[in-house]
Parts: sequence; C-alpha cells; structure tokens
Amino acid sequence: MVSNTWKDYVKNKPKKPKPLSGLRVLEICTIVFGPSGPSWLAEMGAEAIKVEIPPLGDLERDLSCSGFRFKEQSPLFLHDNINKYYLGLDLHKPEGQEVFRQLAAKADIIENNLRPGVMERFNVDYRKIKEINPGIIYLEKNGFGQWGPYAEENRPSNDGASQAFSGIAWMSTFPGQTPVKQMIYLSDMYGALMAEVAVLSALHHRDRTGKGQYIEISQTESIMRTMSWVWPYLDITGQNPPPAGNRDVSICPADTFSCADGSMVSLAAAAPAEFAGLCAAMGRPELARDERFAEHLTRLQEENATELLGIIAAWAAQRTAQEIEDLAREHGFAASRVRDAGQVMADEHIRQRGFMTQMDDAMYGQYRDHEFPVMMSATPPQKKWAARPVGFDNEYVMKKLLNTSDEELKTLYDNGALGKWADRPGRRPPPDWDGQSDIILSRDQASPWAARGEK
Amino acid sequence: MSANRPKWAEWADWVREKDDPRKAGPKLEALDDLVVLDLSSQSYAGAYCSSMLAEFGAEVIKVEPPQGDFLRTCTPYGLLHQGEGLNYLTEGRNKYHVTLDLNQQEGREILRSLAAQADVLLETFPLGTMDAWGLGYEDLKEINPGLIFASITAHGQFGPQAGDPMPDYDNVAQAKSGIQYATGAMLPPGQDAAACPWAVSTKASPWIAWCSAGAFMATGILAALHWRYRTGQGQALDVATTEAYMRLDDYTHIWFQGGGHITERVGGLDNALWLYCFAPTSDGGVFLGGLRLEMWQAFCDMMGKWDEWGVGQWDSLSPFLDREAQLKYFPEVAKFTRQHTSAELERMAVEYSRSGRLAPITTVIAPILSPKEAMEDPNWNERGVFAPTQDPVYGRVVAVQAQHKMTETPIRTKWVCRPVGYDNAFVYRKYLGYGPVRLSQLQRQGLL
Repeated sequence: MVSNTWKDYVKNKPKKPKPLSGLRVLEICTIVFGPSGPSWLAEMGAEAIKVEIPPLGDLERDLSCSGFRFKEQSPLFLHDNINKYYLGLDLHKPEGQEVFRQLAAKADIIENNLRPGVMERFNVDYRKIKEINPGIIYLEKNGFGQWGPYAEENRPSNDGASQAFSGIAWMSTFPGQTPVKQMIYLSDMYGALMAEVAVLSALHHRDRTGKGQYIEISQTESIMRTMSWVWPYLDITGQNPPPAGNRDVSICPADTFSCADGSMVSLAAAAPAEFAGLCAAMGRPELARDERFAEHLTRLQEENATELLGIIAAWAAQRTAQEIEDLAREHGFAASRVRDAGQVMADEHIRQRGFMTQMDDAMYGQYRDHEFPVMMSATPPQKKWAARPVGFDNEYVMKKLLNTSDEELKTLYDNGALGKWADRPGRRPPPDWDGQSDIILSRDQASPWAARGEK
Repeated sequence: MSANRPKWAEWADWVREKDDPRKAGPKLEALDDLVVLDLSSQSYAGAYCSSMLAEFGAEVIKVEPPQGDFLRTCTPYGLLHQGEGLNYLTEGRNKYHVTLDLNQQEGREILRSLAAQADVLLETFPLGTMDAWGLGYEDLKEINPGLIFASITAHGQFGPQAGDPMPDYDNVAQAKSGIQYATGAMLPPGQDAAACPWAVSTKASPWIAWCSAGAFMATGILAALHWRYRTGQGQALDVATTEAYMRLDDYTHIWFQGGGHITERVGGLDNALWLYCFAPTSDGGVFLGGLRLEMWQAFCDMMGKWDEWGVGQWDSLSPFLDREAQLKYFPEVAKFTRQHTSAELERMAVEYSRSGRLAPITTVIAPILSPKEAMEDPNWNERGVFAPTQDPVYGRVVAVQAQHKMTETPIRTKWVCRPVGYDNAFVYRKYLGYGPVRLSQLQRQGLL
C-alpha cells in the first residue's frame, strides 16, 4: 500500500536534491548540545564547517561508552558530527579570529555553545559579525542564556544539571524513589532540536526580508517546554504533581507492565474503540461499559485508573510480550515490548525505511547510524560521511573559501592559528586509516601543513 | 541582578534589550505569511508541531471532528480547566479551531478548498486514511503543487510495518526507542526484584517522544519551506514517532555494533562520564558534575578522601569511567551526600571554589528540583519562562512557550486555546466566503 510518493524512497535518495543545499553553517560547538544541530542541517544538505581549537578540538571526542570507542572514536562524537568539514582554528589567536571573520562573511548561519561573553573575547560576537554580514543568523546555546542571574553568575551547566534544574528528573521516577537520570543526554539533544526550529524559522524570515538575527537558547528552558501540563497544573492546584513511574497520567490506560516471559510491555488504549479492543483482548468486554471506565475522563481519575491498571497488570503477567503485541494488532490498541539495543538493531522496518542507515565511510567504514528522522519526498536528508580528525579539512576549506596561498597557510600554521589533531584517540585518524583516503585537497606531504597531524 | 556584574554585562544588557520576550508584541513574526492546516487527531506530536509554527505567527487552522479532538480529554487525572484538558489547553495556542466531518463527502470537499489555500497540511491519521478520503498527497498536490504535506504516525508512510494498525502513543514509542530500556533505577545489590518494583526500565515523564516527533517535523516543514522558496516545489514529509525520539540517543546503537553490547540501566549514573551522577541527599538529591579529573579530585577532597585514596597521585580519569569503577566509588559518594542537605552541598562546592586545595576548580553541584521549585526560581521568571497568558476564554493560564529568544522575530503566545468549533464562522467566511445561512445548513448536516 505504498503510495507513489514514497515508492523507492531510500533507493532514490542520492538522485534528489537536499533542502538546505547552498547554505553554509559555521559552528564552534562542543559536547552533544553544540554539534548536534549543525549535523541536522548538514544532513539536510547545508555545508557545515566545524571549527575546533587545535589540537584537542571538541571535548566530545573524549567520551567513550565505559571505555568502548568505535575505531578509537567516541561513539557520541561519531553520532553528533555528520557531513561536516573540519577546520582546526585557534580563536585565541588574532590571526585565527581574522580567518573566522572572513569565513563568517560568507556564512549563512553561525552556531556555538560557549559561555556568554566568550565570542566577544574572541572578537567574533554577533555585533561584530553582523557588521560584515547583516544576513547572518547567529545562534548561541548554553545552560542559562545570555542574561539573567544564573547567566551572570557564570554558572556552569550541562545535561545532567539541566535535567536536575528543570524539574524533569524529579518527575521521571517512581513515587517516593530517588530520581533517575535519563540515559540519553535529553536536555542537550532536545535543546539542540528546539534551536534548529528557531534557526530555520529565522531562515524563512531571511528568505522574505534578507535580514538575519541573533538567537539564544537555554537547554533547561527548552526541556521545560516539554512538560506541558505540569505548569498549568501547578498554577491551578499549587501542588507538585506526584511522580508516576511508567504510568502516563494523562492517558488511561497507558503504562508499562511485566509479562509472563520476564519482559516488559508498554501499552496504551485510550480512544473508545481502542479501549473496547483491549477489554475484548483481555476477555473482559464488560469493562468497556463499566461506569468507572467507560468515559476517558472518568477512567483517568486516580481511583479508577489505579483499579483498571491493576486489572491490566494481572492480565499482562499471564501473557508473553509477543502475545500482547499480537493482541494489540488484532484489537487495534498499541503495545510494544520495552526494546533493548539489540532488538532495536534487529528491527527490519527502520532499516528498510533507511532510518537505521548503513554508513559507508572511507575513514570509519561500514556501520549503522540514525538518518535524520524526517523523510522528505522531494529533498531527502542523507548521511554521507562520518566524523573526521581535528583540522582534517584545513587545506580544502582555506583554499576553497578564502583562496589562501601556500605562503599564508604556512604563516597561519607557524603561528598556531591553524592546526591539526593531537596524537590521541578520537583526535587523530583511526588506526587503520591509510593516510590518504578522504583528504579532499592534499598538499606536499613534506610540508608543515600536510595532513599528518601534530604530535 | 547581582552587584558584581561580569565583564560582559554590557553584552547581556544589549541582548536583553533586543530579545526580552516581554518586548515581543510589536516585532515582526517569522511565519506570519503561512497558512497551516492542522488535521492532527489524537496526537500531541501534531498539536506540538503546529504550536511551534503558531508561536512564530503562522495562521494555524486546527480542524477537528464535530465532537472535538480526543486529545482534549487527555489530561492528568482527568483534571479540567474551564472544561478543557490541560494538555490541549496549552497546545491550542494562537490557533483557530474549526470543526469538519471528513467522513462526509461534502466535508472532504470543504477540506480540499482549504488545502488549496494552505502552505502546510499536517496530519496524523493511520496510514491510508487520507488517501481513502481522496485527500492524500497525490490528490492534493494536483490542486496545490506547492503544498507541504506532513504526516506524523507510529510507523511512518512506508516500510514493512507501515500498515501496522497500532495507534501512535508516546509511552509505546518510548518503549520501542530503546531509551526506556536503558533508563531507570538499578536493583540494589542483594535485593529481590519483586520487592523493588521501581527498579525497572522507566520512561521519561513528559510526552517526550511526541515532542521529539513534533519538533523534528517542524524543522522538516521549515526546511521544505526554504526549498519551496527556492523552487516553488512542495513535497510530502514523513515522521515516525519512535524514530524521532530514537534520534536523540547518541550511542546505544553504536555501542551494540562494537560486540553486541546491550546498554543496561545505570540509575543516576552515566555510561560515558564521571563524575556525572545523581546522588541522594538528606532532603532530596543533587546532580554532581565533574567531567575533568581535577573536578573529581576536588569532590574527593570535599569528601575528606584526599589522603586515604591518594587522590593527589591520580593522573587520568580513565580508570573511573567503567561500570565497575563507578559501582565501587558511587556508594562512597552517596554515603557522603546523604549526610548533607542539597543546599549544604551546593554551598560546599561554592566554598571549595574559593578556599579549597584545588580552588578555583570545584564540582558542579545542582539540586534536583521539583517542578514547583523550578517554577518559583526567580531566574526563570526573570527570563519570562512562566509568564501567564491572559486568555479571553480561559482566563489566566501558564502555558510555557518555546524558549528560543530572538532579536528580530521573537515568538509569542497570544491566546492559549479555543473551544471546539469556536472559529468556524471566521475561518469559513475568510477562506470560503460562507455566511450565516450556509453555515447553519452545514451545521444541520452535521458537518460542523
């Protein structure tokens, strides 16, 4: 039943244009919150130049999974840095700042996640850049924004602090239990996503008027937005809503249950036909007519919800996860086992949709990674290449964008404005790299600026 | 504002002057040239997505069946505010609310007329529903080639399970994502699982999978609008809720590809970072952050372990990153933090930054706040996060809007919601020229 619109979507991706092609993004971004956004733009075809301070670059390169690295690279860095060009540029140096301003003059979007005031110290803040490029869309992301008491205290922030500060962690646990941290860097990733909504709406404004603008984003403020009902609930009742574990208190039934086979199943069946379907599947069709449960608003009330969820829990405990999923399909409600990484990776559906895409990278080889999760029929986003070492594309970027002469390049390398990777895991090329592949513009290997890296 | 302002205070003042949300009113709106038809049904992802656009000034027309969107009844514990569920109440912002029965041929004709005049159509029906109504992308692009047709569903518009009849729910998408599995409390050593029903895979409290799907779709729509600006060409967009949320997971899939490792729950700990955890205190809990060795050393010093552990000799954070090391050190950390209140620990970190052995290096210590504490925090109130909206129908409502602060085209919340069919007269007059007689006819036919 695939419509013509989506027929052969994955196969035809390379044949189609990308929606943001022709746009240039300059990022000075670190650790998840920073680089994720520019990656999404790059997956949609923007030319993203990742500026890193050589030789260590983005600290995300340091992060391993309990010591596990993918060909020496941080799995996190690999995931958050896609389709980019890598420029090792030291913004502490006036010459590095000058190169940045020259690039900024030719950029459409600039993104960073440094503390307030740092870009000004580097002489590349919004007010300076907009003088040379009034159309620039300039985004700064951090914990507390650019103004307000916490920003001015220079409070450090990160994903964990943001989960703690926003109230989201307090809510995301079982009643009476210590809050747990989300396994993902939720505030970082979600804040990065909201930032791109702002950037792309600013792009629409620029398309209409030619005018750029400045945007600031706080990761904590952004994650607060997702807590929708919590804020009016507090405003109306004056009380904290209690943490509710896996139960969705706005939808009933919607909860996670233990099954006979030891796995867990999340289930939801709220709309009238869905709820009737669940009751039928449980062999309890009369529940759908029970006055405590028949209407959704009544069913949601604490006493009724507790009663109903108890009935479902007792039923689920006698069934395997597979049986419940099958019954959900048959009776039109929603259910899925709580899938682990192995089950997700074995999911043929997301592979065939090209979401869990197969990378074919000259440096990191073949592995699977997430495609941008919006499929676009005319302009499909596409992951094309993976992360690169610090400063890997210096020669290409400098020559293509600024037509820098060999002599000027040498000067920039000599005074440290340009640089390449440190000889450390995650910074340098993977151990099996052949010393050639993926260099876009190569130079004399004997020259000081050759793609060898600095020790 | 503190008396000791930072060196960059002049910058802060300049930005605030330009992007304080209180000054948004008269400024330009980024998307006020757009008409969006939101047909989303029983989907917070859809409502959230169109909220993003409506906050930027797009004219969003929410089309509901005559009895209203089921989402209106999805509200915590059944709580209503002036007859409205809290989730729908806060996502009706800036939108126009009309009713239309798409099960009737005439209703579909009316929809077609609206679609001919729209820039974006957003829908969340089960696969094939719009096609069966003759309102699929293939149909509508004939009358409006520039249309951006956006679908958010449980499984997407194609792929082997696209036709799966299961409806799209946030909690089920969280379960499918792989993220819920790896989030939650660890079973305490020596404890029986049955006695600890809370030590299980635990979802995030908000509708985060739906929010992710809605926000990703908003980026897709905006990228597609840019493409249309360049070429005039519209297109269809497809988001599957599970995939959108899964995209926020940085590593479990890559870790799995390094030898089949399954990421398991680590409670308040972290797989990639140390010191980076939630720890219990005598009155709640705190987040401890010391990503660099010196910050962890500073914390050990605060705990009084400098000599006992030979902390001064450590030269790398690496030995602390694996699970075994974390499980060894975390109980020591927790033993210490439990003896103090969260506020004491916060003060201790600040004090250490002034007079500690490694000062100014210290550990980031942040209290785990309840939503009430977060809402009362003067910082967020100064930044306008919880500014209430005075709605002509619903009165005072705290509907937190998106928090990007922008100098030229800031977002704003003008009204929070509307009852079912509230804008029928206005919208059908504005787009179709229908007057009172025609409208009451349609009403009698059960179309509105």
